Amino acid sequence: MIASDLLDVPVHDEAGAHLGWVVDLRFVLDGAPDTFLARARLHALVVSPRTRTSFMGFERSSVRHPWPVAPILRWWHRGTFLVHWPDVARVPDPDAGAGPEDTAAIVLRAEFTAYEPGL
Amino acid sequence: MKSRLLTVALGILTAIGGFLDAGDLVTNAVVGSRFGLSLAWVVLVGVVGICVFAHMSGKVAAVSGRATFEVIRERLGPTTAGLNLAASLAVTVLTLVAEVGGIALALQLASSVDHRLWVPVAALAVWLVLWRVKFNLMENVTGLLGLTLVGFAVAVFLLGPDWGDLAAQLVPQVPVQESAAVYWYFAVALFGAAMTPYEVFFFSSGGVEDGWTVKDLASSRLNVMVGFPLGGLLSVSIAACAAIVLLPAGIQVDSMSQLTLPIAEAGGTLLVAVVIVGLVAATFGAALETALSTGYTLSQYLGWSWGKFRRPARAPRFHLAMILALVVAVGVLMTNVDPIAVTEYSVVFSAVALPLTYLPILVVANDPEYMGEHVNGRFMNVLGTVYLFILVVAALAAIPLMIVTEAGG
Repeated sequence: MIASDLLDVPVHDEAGAHLGWVVDLRFVLDGAPDTFLARARLHALVVSPRTRTSFMGFERSSVRHPWPVAPILRWWHRGTFLVHWPDVARVPDPDAGAGPEDTAAIVLRAEFTAYEPGL
Repeated sequence: MKSRLLTVALGILTAIGGFLDAGDLVTNAVVGSRFGLSLAWVVLVGVVGICVFAHMSGKVAAVSGRATFEVIRERLGPTTAGLNLAASLAVTVLTLVAEVGGIALALQLASSVDHRLWVPVAALAVWLVLWRVKFNLMENVTGLLGLTLVGFAVAVFLLGPDWGDLAAQLVPQVPVQESAAVYWYFAVALFGAAMTPYEVFFFSSGGVEDGWTVKDLASSRLNVMVGFPLGGLLSVSIAACAAIVLLPAGIQVDSMSQLTLPIAEAGGTLLVAVVIVGLVAATFGAALETALSTGYTLSQYLGWSWGKFRRPARAPRFHLAMILALVVAVGVLMTNVDPIAVTEYSVVFSAVALPLTYLPILVVANDPEYMGEHVNGRFMNVLGTVYLFILVVAALAAIPLMIVTEAGG
């Protein structure tokens, strides 16, 4: 699996309700030592309810500048949440090709927890 | 220890590529011969704009070690950044085509040998510099030789114009013989030329090539404050020469050779020789800048190793990208297309590339994770946001104006 298999993909809850799109992935560097750093491990997905465009990093911090770019992006991405990778029930098969919209979605477990996306 | 003079070579070379590349050399003279100095205010607006964004991109590069397209790729995500990459590459490669053609035209002025014969020679020379010459030497030599274009400013004084008359032309107004649409088309073209995306790609990547750190913030600021105003001043000087000599005579500029007419009148053969050295150096410098920008943007988007500070074997795809761009340039020029006309169409791609380039710079310059204590102050943010707005308006207006006026017809 590569990052593009997850980015921009719709996210559904277990009942099939649409929750948003994956706009970013969050990794932790705690794997086995690689060439320069520890190997990255996928920690969580950042899901934005209204748009699949980039949040441009504002979800990570409390930065409110530059005006009006930051407020507009924050309003557009309001309700963005973070969901941990173990809370993901299944992901679309990357080799399946383009299917109908509802099957090509990431489905979360019933008891998933939505976290604040800030660091 | 670098001297103060050579410290600003990067800024000068960057500005030459923006204000004094082959397309703009001719555009400046066209504007002067048709509009006098009534569009000089646009150059001023453009100089301030490019200073604002080059300053931010240089600051981000110095503090974080990351060049502009790496920042764009990170903040916009693969799809939107890919759109920017396609548009930016189109602008950059079209300009490279014009520059290789421009070097050939300038060499024709010096040698009377047909410019088509010079095209392969010019491309080979550009490649050799890209392959062999150290970044530092490259920026110093082309930056310093490009300064001989100061001959245009000297010529303005030698021509001894009626200064009051010339100053009166500075008032923004549409000349009676021109339509408002054509006036605004050239206004957008001059503004776009001042703020081309490859200038910040080159400037920020050049900062990384020169090994800038937080300690070099002052050096970055000096480069911005010297290079771009100088480029703008020379661009206005070219327009002024044309306004003094060609406008009253009713001569319309359509080729590079006409640039030297006012120079010959002002300073004779000697000054023409000096200016031709400047024309070759400026087009050569702009060719290096655009070829390198092609390599920088592609490599930074795709995560390849890049930079002239690495040996070519350590950055093979970066060098391959530049070689391909040069091959494309020679191929296009061999079709006998007018190299200057090529740049007119790059306006269309700038409309997409400019906002998508300057927005991420503005956002990252505000991110304390990247910038620490060096985040933008309120003043830079206000300026940056105002210019982002102007850019979007100019970008939206560019294409309809180009169609209505048939590219300034």
